[in-house]
Amino acid sequence: MSKQSKIKVLYIDDEQNNLVGFKATFRFDYTIFIATDVQQAYAHLKANPDISIVLCDQRMPDITGARFFEEMRERYPDPVRMLITGYSDIESVIDAVNKGHIYRYIKKPWTDADIRSAIEEGNKYYTATAMLAQKNQELQVAYEELGKFTYSVTHDLRGPLLSVIGAIDLAKVMESLPEVRELLDMMDDAVKKLDEFIRNTHEYYKLKKGKLIFEEIDFNRLISDATSIFRVAGRMDNIRFTSNVQQNEQFFSDEVSIKIILNNLFSNAFKFQRKGAEDKFVAVEIKVADKCAEITVKDNGIGIEESHIDNIFEMFYRATSEEPGSGFGLFNLKDALTRLRGTINVQSRVNEGTLFIVNIPSGSNGAK
Amino acid sequence: MAQSKRHNFIVIDDSRLDSFIAEKVIRNTGACDDLVSFLDATMALEFLTSGSTEHKPQTVILVDIQMPVMNGFQFVEAFEELPESITANYAVFVISSSINEADLDRVHNYACVRQFLNKPLNSNVLGALLQQL
Repeated sequence: MSKQSKIKVLYIDDEQNNLVGFKATFRFDYTIFIATDVQQAYAHLKANPDISIVLCDQRMPDITGARFFEEMRERYPDPVRMLITGYSDIESVIDAVNKGHIYRYIKKPWTDADIRSAIEEGNKYYTATAMLAQKNQELQVAYEELGKFTYSVTHDLRGPLLSVIGAIDLAKVMESLPEVRELLDMMDDAVKKLDEFIRNTHEYYKLKKGKLIFEEIDFNRLISDATSIFRVAGRMDNIRFTSNVQQNEQFFSDEVSIKIILNNLFSNAFKFQRKGAEDKFVAVEIKVADKCAEITVKDNGIGIEESHIDNIFEMFYRATSEEPGSGFGLFNLKDALTRLRGTINVQSRVNEGTLFIVNIPSGSNGAK
Repeated sequence: MAQSKRHNFIVIDDSRLDSFIAEKVIRNTGACDDLVSFLDATMALEFLTSGSTEHKPQTVILVDIQMPVMNGFQFVEAFEELPESITANYAVFVISSSINEADLDRVHNYACVRQFLNKPLNSNVLGALLQQL
């Protein structure tokens, strides 16, 4: 057997003996669920959404197998359906095949080899169909993001460019040098914003395409790496920064993703401070215990209005006009976090501050 | 073209640079009496609804589309809800870097919007705009 989990098979037959025999024969190779009637069958399907094969006897007292599959298909379209039937039922089988209710029929009396080959083939079909559905879903998401991106290009890429064009026009007829300098400063900001947008886009696609590489994470080092960039850029000036890392066990994760998460949390905490406030602070705490890292980043900045909190993780969403932003940061953070199976919580009060709590489970070393 | 007529202006744009450009271009026309600018559309709306605001006829509103908190469309929708005693004093122009057809089409749906302008604002565009008032 391969290391993959066993194929899950549900068999419905009103004759208990058939069920018991079936289970005894195949239980080593497959995970077998059995049901003597439709109600039991539905209960199994509900409790085990990953059942990939359903076998059903055609002749049952309450309902024919073909009719059951017709019904089942409405509620549980994914499992591959196979009818077990005697030769005399051939008309109804043809009908069921033509209506698309069943993938295959197995003639009674069946042999082990018949069943085995039907299950293996059916499972291949099931896996391919499931993969196709997943790919379709991924495509849909990618397509929606592309749409959002294309739209934002006119604003986030074209906007700063047009601003600079306007400013150049204006500068051409300006007489006063101090005024020109003021304009140059603003042009500088516009171009930097453009650059930030491009870098964020790059970061996003790097994250999206890249494989996760799990390695040992040293949070102390990552914090000092991340903060040194902000310190050099002068973004921590007048902000009291404290960090407290309690890491007494190994933690494995994808360093690129963790860096994106920390960078975006820090960047927001430093950026959204109240102007002129005294004792601005940003406090980060990281606790690693029981194979889980909890990262909390707290600031006493401008806070987030309650009506915006649900939207802050959306692509290009910006909750404030007080500071420039691309609306990309928290979207990237959330994306990185989702890939690591982590969660994030936000608590915020306007003009009092914001608290982000991130939980990330440790991956196993060398995991995919 | 003698621009003897004088106008008042309200500029709404979250980009400091774009506001600055608009203010300069407006002042350079020499036809500007009064000019207020807002980086946040909600503040502009507050200004318009405040009892202490003096509504001067022939005031031009230039509003950007993509802004955080309240975007240009939301502003225009809120503006159209205001009493006519207020709105009658204003000529609304939407200005944006957007070349998105959906945005352009949407602008046409608002009765109060006189025209869609492309950024950046310059003296030619503004001159033509003032001609039609």
